[in-house]
Amino acid sequence: MSFRILHCVAALSISCLFISPSFSATSEAPSSQIQPLAISSLILDIADTGQRLVAVGERGHVLVYDGNWQQVTTPTSVQLTKVFFINETLGWAVGHDATILHTQDGGQTWQLQMQSREIEKPFLDILFLNEREGMAIGAYGLFYRTNDGGANWSAEFHEELLVEEDVSYLAELKGSDEAAYLNERASLLPHFNRIIALKDGRLVLVGELGLVAASNDKGITFTRTGFDYDGSMFNAIEMQDAVYVMGLRGNIFKADLSLSQWHEIEMPVQSSINGVMAMSDETLYLVGNAGVVIQLNSDDTSSIVTRRQGENLVSIAKDNQGNMWLSGSQGLFILKP
Amino acid sequence: MLEKLVNGFELFLFRNRTWVVGIFALLTLFLGYQASQLKMDAAFIKNIPLNHSYMQTYLKHQKDFGGANSIMVAVEDTSGNIFNANYFDTLKNVHDQLFFIPGVERSQVKSIFSPSTRFTEVVEDGFAGGPVIPADFSTTQTGLDTVRDNIEKAGIVGRLIANDYSAAMVSAQLMDFDPQTGKPLDTIAFAAQLENELRGKFETDKVKIHIIGFAKMAGDVADGAKGVLLFFLIAILITAVMVYLFSKSIILTVLPLVCSLMAVVWQLGLLTVIGFGLDPMSILVPFLVFAIGVSHGVQMINAVRRRVMDGQTTKAAAASAFRNLLVPGGVALLSDTVGFITLLSIDIGIIRELAISASLGVGVIIFTNLILLPLVISFTELKAVKHAQPTAEEVRAEAIWRFLAKFATPKYAIVVIVATIALYFVGLQQANQMKIGDLQGGAPALHQDSRYNLDTFFITDHFSITTDVMAVIVEASPEACTYHDMLIQIDEFEWLVRNTPGIESTVSLASVAKKVNAGFNEGNPKWEVLPRTTASLVQAIGQIPTTSGLLNGDCSVMPVYLFMKDHKAETIETVVAKVKAVAAKMDNEQLQFKLASGPVGVMAATNEAVAAAQLPMMLYVYGAVFVLCLISFKSFKATVAVIIPLYVVSTLAQALMTQLDIGLAVSTLPVIALGVGIGVDYGIYILSTMSSKLSNGMPVQQAYYEALVERGSAVIFTGLTLAIGVSTWFFSALKFQMDMGILLTFMFVVNMLGAIIILPALAAVFWRQPK
Repeated sequence: MSFRILHCVAALSISCLFISPSFSATSEAPSSQIQPLAISSLILDIADTGQRLVAVGERGHVLVYDGNWQQVTTPTSVQLTKVFFINETLGWAVGHDATILHTQDGGQTWQLQMQSREIEKPFLDILFLNEREGMAIGAYGLFYRTNDGGANWSAEFHEELLVEEDVSYLAELKGSDEAAYLNERASLLPHFNRIIALKDGRLVLVGELGLVAASNDKGITFTRTGFDYDGSMFNAIEMQDAVYVMGLRGNIFKADLSLSQWHEIEMPVQSSINGVMAMSDETLYLVGNAGVVIQLNSDDTSSIVTRRQGENLVSIAKDNQGNMWLSGSQGLFILKP
Repeated sequence: MLEKLVNGFELFLFRNRTWVVGIFALLTLFLGYQASQLKMDAAFIKNIPLNHSYMQTYLKHQKDFGGANSIMVAVEDTSGNIFNANYFDTLKNVHDQLFFIPGVERSQVKSIFSPSTRFTEVVEDGFAGGPVIPADFSTTQTGLDTVRDNIEKAGIVGRLIANDYSAAMVSAQLMDFDPQTGKPLDTIAFAAQLENELRGKFETDKVKIHIIGFAKMAGDVADGAKGVLLFFLIAILITAVMVYLFSKSIILTVLPLVCSLMAVVWQLGLLTVIGFGLDPMSILVPFLVFAIGVSHGVQMINAVRRRVMDGQTTKAAAASAFRNLLVPGGVALLSDTVGFITLLSIDIGIIRELAISASLGVGVIIFTNLILLPLVISFTELKAVKHAQPTAEEVRAEAIWRFLAKFATPKYAIVVIVATIALYFVGLQQANQMKIGDLQGGAPALHQDSRYNLDTFFITDHFSITTDVMAVIVEASPEACTYHDMLIQIDEFEWLVRNTPGIESTVSLASVAKKVNAGFNEGNPKWEVLPRTTASLVQAIGQIPTTSGLLNGDCSVMPVYLFMKDHKAETIETVVAKVKAVAAKMDNEQLQFKLASGPVGVMAATNEAVAAAQLPMMLYVYGAVFVLCLISFKSFKATVAVIIPLYVVSTLAQALMTQLDIGLAVSTLPVIALGVGIGVDYGIYILSTMSSKLSNGMPVQQAYYEALVERGSAVIFTGLTLAIGVSTWFFSALKFQMDMGILLTFMFVVNMLGAIIILPALAAVFWRQPK
């Protein structure tokens, strides 16, 4: 039995979907606490605002780097999974309990835009196309959109990404039992792990169970690409007219911009790849579980840069002095050249 | 009345002296046999303050979580790489051998060879997993490669496998009782078995065995304690030479030594009679008994010799010396005994044992050295060597006494008193900085370069584990771990406490459940959270067995383990304070965070118990000494004159501890009580001679001079004998004996100085001559 099914069972008890954007910025959720070891706690993402680095992680931790890392308080203590900046000042961070935080000062102070314990699903990525239009995605097809910079968020259900049998199953259920229908709907879509914008404006969405989809209309509708691997994809990046998707057990695939033909790249490890960064026009750095850092070149050759025993790496970013920062289960540290 | 009684007693004893000596001989035979049956005995439970609230928590949950009595065996491949056939064979043998040593809790033996050591990995359609050592394991290259992969997948590097793959760990919990005999586990025999059946059998050039854990340490301490026998012989030898120099007579050298050794035999024999063993901690007691015995013996032979020189027969001289010394000697010994008995108030088993065995030992000296010794002397025929002219030595002695007597004049007295006050305040300032607990890394009882401590350092260097673990016990209602609300509190507690200097890492059911949950979500770190739904939470918790030590059977009790950088008292205090502060904020009806289990939990309790015992112990000792002095001198002034120097010296001893980085611990706590109990002897001997003269109106200086002539040499001699007896410990293999040796030597010598310098100065002030 796969974990996937177990999660569906677990999700059956959820009785909500389409939570309206009116949520309660709950008093039950305490704010994050400044602690000396926040820098070495689980850090799940680092974003470059263009001026500084901002990192987010467990317990609502946000750290800002201006020559050294400084923890700032946030109005939540849930795990934050991803942070995104559209410019030097405006940014959003997302996390568990369907949490969305917003900053207007480059990460120094944060306000809650959305949070709902009842949704019981984490947001796993957030993308803004400009200062107003953005989308937050997450587990079980969680998808929220804003057109006003996050003042209002509304849910979308991407039925087009359901597998065929589920579509008919849902249709059947809808007729007979409305409540069960809503319940099922909340858990049938795969996890949406990562959404990126290509240079030409198209969006690429990757996720659980081999989900790799593209959208030409700012994410209103997605179409699955011709991707036929069943494992989860955790990240995606565009480099030199090619798109790379990567994920479970060191699987990484590459396609040209038509996104129709994917071919697998031979990798030196079998660890899941979580994070990726373009080092140059020709080189990607990949980080993943079991502490692997891998250099991948545009000619599909790859090599292990380092292997940090006993920890998982999730994200990689470069500061304006050229230091490579890694983040993961042991917090933040510089990649020694 | 007392005098009558003593006289009657003397008449009776000396008339029946043959009988009395015969009875003593028989008793010695009996107790000697008993002493030969004495066993070394070091039980874990004796070392901990059982009534301390931490230890109550510890004992309450000991059954579920094994507590603090564990053993770790690191098997090292000296080539630095464990992946070879020879190594794996040895490791398997070590695992099996440890499993079969009686006293080991078999369900808790852990290594990569235990079936419960499993790996899981995420694959496309779920989990794959199995035991790290597969059922079809063979020590071929392929087999070893598989194991190597499994080890990495199982995430046991740092715990069961050294970080650099140079060693692997086999660990076990010990039972308190031997399952075969039902008796308490013989720790020392167990340690010997570890030594013989693990290290003896399996250590080679290629494979080294490192063993740590309380039981092993106790065994090593016991071994080290055996080396004390040599020190005992050296102490006897030096003492014999000194007594001979003092007495100039073979017979007067042999007799007090034999009587003192007899006291030692009686003391050891009595231990067996009352069912005690000899704990390495109390091994110092025979030294003390011997030294105290000799010092009283010397007072006795000194008294006899003076009387013989004055022309009495040896028998009459012995009887008279007996009469004269029974009361002051008895009071002095009684105050020693009382001083030791006060240690009973401390709630730590081995200190109580020390108290009992030391009071027994000092008690028997009354019989062997105050009663038997003069009786035996009375059988001898001492030559009266009375020179018409005082010898050069006597002239020199007299000059010394004349000089010392000046301290009893007001002029010098003021100087001495001012100097004493100054010294006291300097000392007090230092004494206040005295540290509680063990200040060094490794096992504090042993030296830093002992095998045990080197093993400890090897393990802490190569593994991410430490023996310096404290567990905070979280008590909740049954099934508490299935509620997100509960676990999130434990998670929060763990994190807040984790942020304390001195804590290296932490683990609890909550933090492991988060990792398991990530595992259930394709190993994605973004799912390292406690799921809100009970179903998902139970699914994660279900993966964690009770053998992990993270939860009990119905998960109503969940320890949070705090791995600390060391067990220095300051570190412990910081962590305990933080735990208390966080617990105070977080405790509620559903969850209570309670201190403490684990080795450092025990240390924390011991430190607190020791710190708390210090003041009452001092009060009791001084109270007892005060009352006894008051009874024997019937003078408040005399009592105060004896006690003030003692008190100053106690303070200076504490200052010395600060200076030498000796912490107040189970081993050093009793030293001050012992030092005071014995140190008071000097004052009692000197002042008892002075007080009758003073009450007859003799000037202080003259009274003191006469007291010195009569007993001065004996007092100085006593101080030196005692000091020599304990100073040999300086070379002990055991760190705590070294500490005790240093402190006792200091206390004995400086108390002696106090009695001949500060005491007369105080007397000069208290008995000022009316002008």
